[in-house]
Amino acid sequence: MHPLRWTVALLITGIIATAPVRGEDVDLRVQVVESYVDLHTGPGSGYPVAQVVERGEWVEIILRRTDWFQVRTQRGKEGWVSRADIENMATETGGLVRLRDVLYEDYRSRRFEAGFAGGLLEGDSFMMARAGYRLHENLTGEITIGQASGDFSSSMLYYAAVLSEPFPEWRVSPFFSLGLGRFHNTPKATLVGAIKTESNMANAGIGARAYLTRRFVVRGDYRRHVVFVDEDRINEYNEVSLGFSLFFY
Amino acid sequence: MLFPVAAQAQNPDAPATEQVIQPEVDRRPVRIPRIDTEDFEFGAFAGILSIEDFGANPVYGGRLVYHVNEDYFVEAVIGKSTVSDQALFDLGLSLFPSREEDLTYYAMSVGFNLFPGEIFPSSKRAMTSTVYAVAGIGNTGFIDENRFTVNFGIGIRILPVDWLAVHFTMRDYLFESDILGGQEIKNNFELTLGASVYF
Repeated sequence: MHPLRWTVALLITGIIATAPVRGEDVDLRVQVVESYVDLHTGPGSGYPVAQVVERGEWVEIILRRTDWFQVRTQRGKEGWVSRADIENMATETGGLVRLRDVLYEDYRSRRFEAGFAGGLLEGDSFMMARAGYRLHENLTGEITIGQASGDFSSSMLYYAAVLSEPFPEWRVSPFFSLGLGRFHNTPKATLVGAIKTESNMANAGIGARAYLTRRFVVRGDYRRHVVFVDEDRINEYNEVSLGFSLFFY
Repeated sequence: MLFPVAAQAQNPDAPATEQVIQPEVDRRPVRIPRIDTEDFEFGAFAGILSIEDFGANPVYGGRLVYHVNEDYFVEAVIGKSTVSDQALFDLGLSLFPSREEDLTYYAMSVGFNLFPGEIFPSSKRAMTSTVYAVAGIGNTGFIDENRFTVNFGIGIRILPVDWLAVHFTMRDYLFESDILGGQEIKNNFELTLGASVYF
């Protein structure tokens, strides 16, 4: 990987990005088997074809972006080849190229997951970000930050929850969750006499999740939040949400 | 991110005469090559954000993109700017605790690459580019208030080198507000220039 890339990444973001796990530095050389293969100028079928590589020529795969592969020819020319074309090329051992993709099996063995969701919290629009770690096939620990914006006040929710999935092998898998956290409520500045509150809260929810494609999971939740405002007052809020997550295994 | 590529080992040219005794040789360790997969893009941007009724101010922020396929991507954006009620204050209205207040917004959007192509800065050089459309939901917060925000816009992404993308975006952020009395939809336009790297 180009060292300058990371220098620039650090400069423009100002934070330390962790370098991805490096594979073995073996260039994958593949040989054209079809009569010719198109080299596009960019990673997409809409980019023009600038040149072709003929049967018998070897190319080196440099990198992959979605389903497109950047290759370098023996003459040093670079271009992008579609996945279908790559899978019609031969490796140095003679067989055709086999690509290992993120599969449903990887979803089954996922460890880390992070995503966003949107919905309604007692009628107010509600957005949240969450991250989870799978402790066991049936159990996931999760943290959530949510924000609801209403006509009279806005609320921030922070909570940690445990999700239990009784049937993780199902394509659409139901789950139950229990959580504990904090609830901050800020009334609108235009309201007179209203005060900011910070309280403990607990919640219980049910929902279902399904593997979509690649690294994507779709998930729907219904949750009931109980906020302990003070000793003799509790508020209850219903949440309905739909979200997407990316998973890593 | 890296994925292994399984190369199927075969014996393309088996010798005509079979060897009866197989010699014991150390197997060469099989090295599975990995292809560097770059589906994420991370970067920063700066520009001008106009907040209806409260002027236009500099904005800066960060952007994380995941490219789902050659056509679609998902994007998370966070931005910071300021709002000022100076103009209203000069007319005798004081709305904000101070003349300039911080504004933070975030948005989760889906994007579609509309026009993949190339830009030719000189006769010898070509850079790949895409015009894309985005739409999404998020939140805009200033002076203790959060407003559910819908955004849509259009951008152009130019790649001077393979790992670096330069973005120019025009985006509209819409939210409802009653800060000047009646509840109404506010239209907030933003122009940004940014850079990001693929990883």
